[in-house]
Amino acid sequence: MKKGKHQVSFFLIDLFTSCPTIVLMNNEKLLISRLKCDDPVVIKKFYEENKKGFAFFASRYQLDQEAITDIYQDAVIALIENAKKGSIDDLKSNLSTYLFGIGKFMIYKKLKKDKRTVSIDDGEFPEVAFDMYEEEEINLQLALLRKGLKKLGEQCQKVLQLFYYEEKKLDEIQELLDYTNKDVLKSQKSRCLKQLKEIIKER
Amino acid sequence: MEQEEYIRKYFEGDLSEEEALAFQKLLKEDPAFAAAFDFEKNVKKAITLNKRKALKETFKAYEKPKKSYKWLYAAASIAVLVGLFTWNSFYSTNYDSLYNQYYQTYPNTIAPTVRGTGTTDLKSEAFFAYDTGDYETALSLFTKIYKSTSEDYALFYKGISLMELEQYEDALAVFNNGVFEENSIFKSYSRWYAALSYLKLENKAAATAVLESLTKSENPQREAAIKLLARLE
Repeated sequence: MKKGKHQVSFFLIDLFTSCPTIVLMNNEKLLISRLKCDDPVVIKKFYEENKKGFAFFASRYQLDQEAITDIYQDAVIALIENAKKGSIDDLKSNLSTYLFGIGKFMIYKKLKKDKRTVSIDDGEFPEVAFDMYEEEEINLQLALLRKGLKKLGEQCQKVLQLFYYEEKKLDEIQELLDYTNKDVLKSQKSRCLKQLKEIIKER
Repeated sequence: MEQEEYIRKYFEGDLSEEEALAFQKLLKEDPAFAAAFDFEKNVKKAITLNKRKALKETFKAYEKPKKSYKWLYAAASIAVLVGLFTWNSFYSTNYDSLYNQYYQTYPNTIAPTVRGTGTTDLKSEAFFAYDTGDYETALSLFTKIYKSTSEDYALFYKGISLMELEQYEDALAVFNNGVFEENSIFKSYSRWYAALSYLKLENKAAATAVLESLTKSENPQREAAIKLLARLE
């Protein structure tokens, strides 16, 4: 964040989330930055504020209430994920519009999966990079890893999460987690992967 | 470039065109390298899926309390209505309001839901669904459990799940035809819930008959049965 002449930004560290509080930014940017760091109040507010609008928007596709809620939740999850990856930092549209775009894309996929005729042609989908990770076959290693991850130490969880989930580069992680040099971080990351391998072998 | 570097650069999205080609070649020719890469891809998936699941649960929890507030409002307004218009029952029986006053979801007394213990047996999955209000899933799981074990708790909770899904006829079939152990808690409660299902279906004669049988023996719902019977008469 550069300090511009007309834009004063200052950072406070949130005691609980170690998440920088950025005051005096435009609302949309502020919202994205709070979603990035799992601010529970902001996430809930965002969720509640867009829910009705989404349900109305989705009502024309002949889905039951349950399916709409399910898709809405997945869309919010995808949005938060993309926020964390930094892929919507320069979003041109409004965040709700973006959310509805994701939702529309997901509705389209669902209707197609249910083999129902799809007639969504109004407007275009936004570029949504979101892999649903739907597996055709059973991936045993994945199942073991999902459990094994919880047994890892806190530092390992942080490093791996930043690298694989938030798609941060090692240089960024080095800065975020205050590593003195990149090699220390690199060997920490390899150690974590090794530990994970051991954990899933034990079972 | 070291092998590890290729994988790192792949995840950072930093492979140049040449490097990408070399990377593809390595994957094809070196099974150990391919396995290491697959492992990291799975780590990425695992972390992502865990995160998604956690968020999904948070969102499901948002949906839940709202529902119970609604129920509270509904119950409160019904209580007010009943208070104001008790004379109404002289002329007709308001089955729905009686039902709402007396019906309560039977609590999970079998398998307390504990999160994060990693147990994923059918039983705890069924009760987890039941406790979180996902009665559709609960229904299919309890049905499955009963088929394989014939334990009567599964049958009983199947009946309650059906009531929650407003499938009263099916619930009655379970409560009436199911075999419950004599003198078990589920035996008398299955009579009670059968009476309530009849009530909801506005079958006054059947509801009365079942309630009368409940008043004649010692059981936890005897008092409630006497009261409800009085309201029906």
